[in-house]
Amino acid sequence: NNNLTKVKHVLLLSHSQVIQLIIVGIASCQQLVSHIVVQVFSPGNGVASRPQKHEPFEQAPMYVAVMTYLGFGIVTLFGYLRDFLRAVGLEKCHLAQEREEQKDFIPLYQDFENFYTRNLYMRVRDNWNRPICSLPGPVFDLMERVSDDYNWTFRFTGKTLHNVINMGSYNYLGFAENNVDFLKTVADKVNQYGTGVCSTRQEIGNLSIHEELEGLVANFLGVESAMIYGMGFATNSMNIPALVGKGCLILSDELNHTSLILGARLSAATIRVFKHNNMHSLERMLREAVCSGQPRTHRPWKKILIMVEGIYSMEGSVVRLPEIVALKKKYKAYLYLDEAHSIGAVGPSGKGVTELFNVNPTDIDVMMGTFTKSFGAAGGYIAGKKELVDYLRSYSHSAVYATAMSPPITEQILRALKCIMGKDGTTEGLRRIHQLAENTRFFRAKLKEMGFIIYGNDDSPVVPILLYMPGKVVAFAREMLERRIGVVVVGFPATPITEARARFCLSAAHTRDMLNQVLHHLNEVGDTLCLKFSRRKYTSRPDLCAETNLELDS
Amino acid sequence: MNVGVAHSEVNPNTRVMNSKGMWLSYVLCIVLLHLVLLSVPFISVPTVWTLTNLIHNMCMYLLLHTVKGTPFETPDQGRARLLTHWEQMDYGVQFTSSRKFLTIIPIILYILTSFYTKYDQTHFVLNTLSLLSVLVPKLPQLHGVRLFGINRY
Repeated sequence: NNNLTKVKHVLLLSHSQVIQLIIVGIASCQQLVSHIVVQVFSPGNGVASRPQKHEPFEQAPMYVAVMTYLGFGIVTLFGYLRDFLRAVGLEKCHLAQEREEQKDFIPLYQDFENFYTRNLYMRVRDNWNRPICSLPGPVFDLMERVSDDYNWTFRFTGKTLHNVINMGSYNYLGFAENNVDFLKTVADKVNQYGTGVCSTRQEIGNLSIHEELEGLVANFLGVESAMIYGMGFATNSMNIPALVGKGCLILSDELNHTSLILGARLSAATIRVFKHNNMHSLERMLREAVCSGQPRTHRPWKKILIMVEGIYSMEGSVVRLPEIVALKKKYKAYLYLDEAHSIGAVGPSGKGVTELFNVNPTDIDVMMGTFTKSFGAAGGYIAGKKELVDYLRSYSHSAVYATAMSPPITEQILRALKCIMGKDGTTEGLRRIHQLAENTRFFRAKLKEMGFIIYGNDDSPVVPILLYMPGKVVAFAREMLERRIGVVVVGFPATPITEARARFCLSAAHTRDMLNQVLHHLNEVGDTLCLKFSRRKYTSRPDLCAETNLELDS
Repeated sequence: MNVGVAHSEVNPNTRVMNSKGMWLSYVLCIVLLHLVLLSVPFISVPTVWTLTNLIHNMCMYLLLHTVKGTPFETPDQGRARLLTHWEQMDYGVQFTSSRKFLTIIPIILYILTSFYTKYDQTHFVLNTLSLLSVLVPKLPQLHGVRLFGINRY
C-alpha cells in the first residue's frame, strides 16, 4: 500500500511537471519564433539584425561556493574573537563607545549592526575611497596612502602614483578629458550665464540654454520632447512619484538601481519584483495583475508600469527590449526605461538600447537617462510624448523644488551631444562610439578566452569578473593597484553572498595598448590567485564551429 | 539606502541559507567537527557522537535562535533588528526548503547518535534534551515568541 501511494505521488508530480514542460516548451517556441522574426525582418548587417545574444550567468563549480562560505566563516570567528579582545581590553577599541555611566541604558551605538563594518570592512578598507588627484580619464593619478594601524586611519606619504589605468570610471565615450579646444565653449558660457542658476526651473531658473538642450535631446532620441534635471539620481526618485501613485502597480526588475526603487517606494504604488530579465516571470505577473486587479478590492489597476534599465550596472546585462515591448502592448501596460548606462554607449550611433534592438522610440512611454556616464557631465533627462513632458514640467518635484541644471554643465552636455550626433562637423563622435564597441568586443572576447567567468551581454561596456571569495576580492584589488591598474570591487552584502565581483568599465579613450596591458596583468593575477573558474570552451571565431546553442535561458 | 548595491534585496540575511552550496558546506562543517572530535585519543566513540550532537545543537541554537539582527545595516528601518536569524529567513515565510533542511539535520544527527551510543540512558537523556532545545524554537507557533522576557531586546 505504501509503495502504491509512493508511486501515485511520483506520477502526480511528474504529471504537473509534464504540464509545466509543455507550457515552457510553447513559451520557448514562441521565443524562438520571435528570434526568427527579428532575424528575418531586420534589414542590413548591423548590430540590430543579429539574433539576440545568449547571456549566460555561468555558475562556478561547487567547491568555490564552499570555499566562499569557509572564508566568511573564518572571518566571522575572528571577528567574534576580536570583539571579545576589545571588550576585555586587550585590544584598543577605535570605535565610539558609551561612557561608563551610560552602559546600563539601551545601547546607543548598536553593536551588532556594525559587526561587519568593524571586523571585515575595516581590515580591507584601503581598496575603496582611494583619493585621486587628476581627472578620471583613461589614466589617472592616485595619492599614495598607507595605514599604520590596520586601516583605522590613513596617512598620505606625499607620493603620487602616476598614470594608473582607470578601469572603474563610467567614462564610456571618453568625454572626461581636459582638452582646451573642446572646453572653450563651456568657458564662454560660464562668462555668459554664470556658474549657478540659483533657482528652480519653475521660478526664474529656466534659461534658454536649457531649452536648447531639451530640444537637442529630443532630437537625438527621436521623441517629441524632453526635460532635463540637475541630478541623475533625483531624476528617477523625484519623477516616478509624479507619474504613478496609489492604486497603480509597478513591476520592477530584480536588479534595478536604488534610485528606481526609491522613486517607486516614494510613489506609494504597489511594487512587485520580477526575476531579472525573465520574460516568463514578467508575463505571469502581468496576467495575474490584469486578471485579479488590486489586492483586496479586485478593482482594476489604474496603471501598470514596467520599470527596467537599459544596461544593468552590476551585471552588464542588457534588457530584452523587443520582448518587453511586445508584452507591454499585449497587456496594455506602460514602460519606463532607465538608460543611465546605455545612452551613448550602445547602438550603432550611440542612441541606446532602442537603436541596438531596432525598436521604435515611440513604443517606449517614458525614456529616462543620465548625462553622468557617457557625456562626462551631471544630471538626467526624461523624454517621451509632449503631453507627458509638459505634465512633468508642472508636476515633477524636481521642477518645483530642485535647482535647475547649471550652465557650464548644460553646455558640456550640448557640446558632447553635438559631437556624438556629428553636428559639430567632425566624425569624432562616431569614431568614439566605434572605438568603444571595438574595445568592448575585444576585451570581452579576450577575457572569455582566458577563462574568467564574466556576466553580461557581449555588447555592454560594463564587464563584471566574478571573484567569489572575500579574500580574493581584496587580494585582486591590491594586486591590480600594485600593477598600476585601478579597479572597482564589490562584495557581500552589496552583492549576493557568493557573487563578489570586480567591475570593469570600458571607455572609448582606452587605447589598444592600455587594454593589452590590462589583459596581460589580468592573466597573471588570474593565474596567481586562481580566478579562472570558467568551464566553457570559448573561441574567438564562433563561425568556424558548427554547433548551435538552443539552451532555454531564463 | 546603499547605492551601488547589486540587488534589490532589503535584507540579504534572508537569502543566505538559500545560496548555492550552503547546505553542502553546512554538512561538511558537521563532518569536520565530528572528525576533529574523533581524533582526540581518549574519548570513546559514543561520547564523541554525543559531543558532536551537543556541540552542533548548541551552536545552532546560539547562531539561529539567540543572535538577533543583521551584522550590517539594512535599509528596512530596523525591522529585522529584534528578529533572530531563524525568524529572518525568507522574510518569515514558514516551511521553505531551507527551514525544512535545518529542521531535518538535527533529527538525522540525533538518530545517528542514538544508534552509535547503543541507546544508553544518560546519553539518551542528554541528546533528547539537546534536540528539543533546537527543535522547539523552530515551531511556527513560536515565531517571535520570547519566553520569560529572555532575549527580548
